[in-house]
Amino acid sequence: MRDVIIFVEHNGGQTRKVTFELAAEARRLADALGGKAHALVAGVGSAALARQLQNHPLDKIFHTDDADVDKFLLDPVVDYLEAVAKVTGPAAILVPNTMLGRDVAGRIVARLDAGLASDVTELRVENGRVHCIAPKLQGSTITTCAFKGGDYGVITVRPNAFAAQLQATGAELVPLEKPAGKTYGMVVESDVEEATGEIGLEEAAVVVSGGRGLGGPEPFETLLKPLAEALGGAVGASRAAADAGWVPYSLQIGQTGKIVSPQLYIAVGISGAIQHKVGMQTAGTIVAINRDGTVPIGETADLLVVGDLFQIIPALTTLVQEAKAAHT
Amino acid sequence: MKIVVTVKLVPDPNAVRRIDPGTKRLVRAGIETALNPFDEYAIEAALQLKEQIGAPSTGSGQATTVTIFTMAPESMKESLRKALAMGADDAVMLSDPALEGSDVSVTSYAMAQALKKTGFDVILSGALSDDGNTGGVPGALAEYLGVPGLTNVRKIEEIGNGRIKAQRETDSGYQVVSGPLPALVTVTMAVGEPRYASLKGIMGAKKKTISTLSAADCGIDRPVGSDGAKMEVVAIAAPKAREKAKVVEAADGASGAQAILDFLRERKLV
Ligand SMILES: Cc1cc2nc3c(=O)[nH]c(=O)nc-3n(C[C@H](O)[C@H](O)[C@H](O)COP(=O)(O)OP(=O)(O)OC[C@H]3O[C@@H](n4cnc5c(N)ncnc54)[C@H](O)[C@@H]3O)c2cc1C
Ligand SMILES: Nc1ncnc2c1ncn2[C@@H]1O[C@H](COP(=O)(O)O)[C@@H](O)[C@H]1O
Repeated sequence: MRDVIIFVEHNGGQTRKVTFELAAEARRLADALGGKAHALVAGVGSAALARQLQNHPLDKIFHTDDADVDKFLLDPVVDYLEAVAKVTGPAAILVPNTMLGRDVAGRIVARLDAGLASDVTELRVENGRVHCIAPKLQGSTITTCAFKGGDYGVITVRPNAFAAQLQATGAELVPLEKPAGKTYGMVVESDVEEATGEIGLEEAAVVVSGGRGLGGPEPFETLLKPLAEALGGAVGASRAAADAGWVPYSLQIGQTGKIVSPQLYIAVGISGAIQHKVGMQTAGTIVAINRDGTVPIGETADLLVVGDLFQIIPALTTLVQEAKAAHT
Repeated sequence: MKIVVTVKLVPDPNAVRRIDPGTKRLVRAGIETALNPFDEYAIEAALQLKEQIGAPSTGSGQATTVTIFTMAPESMKESLRKALAMGADDAVMLSDPALEGSDVSVTSYAMAQALKKTGFDVILSGALSDDGNTGGVPGALAEYLGVPGLTNVRKIEEIGNGRIKAQRETDSGYQVVSGPLPALVTVTMAVGEPRYASLKGIMGAKKKTISTLSAADCGIDRPVGSDGAKMEVVAIAAPKAREKAKVVEAADGASGAQAILDFLRERKLV
């Protein structure tokens, strides 16, 4: 395994920060392995995105605007990734640890009979082998896994774990041909966006999350959103809030939701069940606001403010806004 | 319609679990075996489907059955009774000492070989396992079986006449997809809380069949278990301990807010 391929997740050519993090990490790994760093971009809008990716430290950017990638579930994109992997030969394939990324990873593992390392937060090359470091068992153990044999390895990478790097290295654009003789059956009939946030949760530097303590959907809009906006962040939620129908499931943080690693995580009216903590405990700084000083989130937080969220949040939003106004 | 639910038998999620520093495998001794909690949702979804599709007379004349499938040591057999007590019809285990130490690709390959043998119209799986937590098996399994994989399904809208239509959760909302059966579906918790086994269910489960297949029975002819695994654990460590939280009792909103702002300033976060 010498080369590195990154899978670029995007929506009509709009990609996310994690793509650039993967590109920088792919470069670093490829250099350590003595190989090349490539990207695959497939689906409508890919040609334009491929040109944008030339500002990142890659060698080849394989791309196709094939509309089938958007029209059919998963199979076309996995076909393209497999085709690129076959061209490069044994490689490490970096995929973002998002819902789509995990799906792609599972399928390409079988196509290439590859190993899978999931939810990786750190990568190292030791004696020519890629070592994948990831928190397991609800964050209680940090494991280092390595691929056996010199073949393919698939790695899902936690967003916000690596720094992006703007650096044009003259990456070559390589258009891909449509694979011959493929028919696809699983049609995507419609795609509905429910989350309205400007910034994706996984890549937000600040996440302000609300739980059952908010008592209903309105405080998410009237309290959390303004605070998140003042801090330049995104709004998240606990499962309890999503289950109650106050926010869509796409805002849920945790074992069965999104795993986030922002610089700052503010847990508002969230008790901190282990399933929630799994999704946020690698955040840089964790602040919790809870009226109960004995909640489990206190074991994970850096600061626990014991008090009424309905009083604290509006006051905090005003303070943050004032601090920012004074700064500019 | 033949529905198969893949369930993983995991160490009790509520127990304190650790990895043996020597073998680098999860320590199972002294910990009860449980159904992976996410798979209980898959069982629930399967039982709902069976109720929906109903009696043979409304369908193709063929009864709808729910079979539980697991790849696990035979010694864990009794842990499947709970799934049968919930209402599944029978269970099949793929058990073979050779399979010990399998990783995602080998597990999926072996499961696929066994499932080709049992047959299915639809496979329901959990979205991830509580211990492995990779969520990689269902996708790889679908691939080895050569069937479409509909992941993160929150609702099966239609199923029958060789087709399925379902709503999948996505990162930003949901999608409606449709296509041919057979297919593999992973479900989210939105399908509904898993039902409790009734007393009658528990009694009935004792009489239900749990059959066992070996690797050879399924024509597994390539290296499996740790020999076939493409991954190995080379080291384990404890996470960096976080410092104990600073706790501030806020008398009112203003003082609580000020305490947070001061803290964020200290850490250069505002
Ligand atoms: C298999 C499985 C998977 C799960 N996956 C997830 C997951 O991915 N993500 C997740 O979040 N959960 C998950 N859960 C659920 C999890 O176990 C908890 O039930 C959930 O996280 C609780 O949400 P909460 O903290 O908002 O609610 P609660 O535990 O009810 O906490 C609400 C908190 O608000 C505080 N509060 C109330 N009013 C105020 C006020 N006025 N001011 C200040 N504080 C106030 C209370 O003191 C309390 O601590 C999962 C559970 C299972 C079984
Ligand atoms: N050994 C196994 N036997 C049966 N099903 C399994 C096994 N391992 C994984 N699965 C299925 O795959 C899902 C995801 O598991 P994982 O990929 O290990 O996180 C589980 O919820 C199960 O439905």
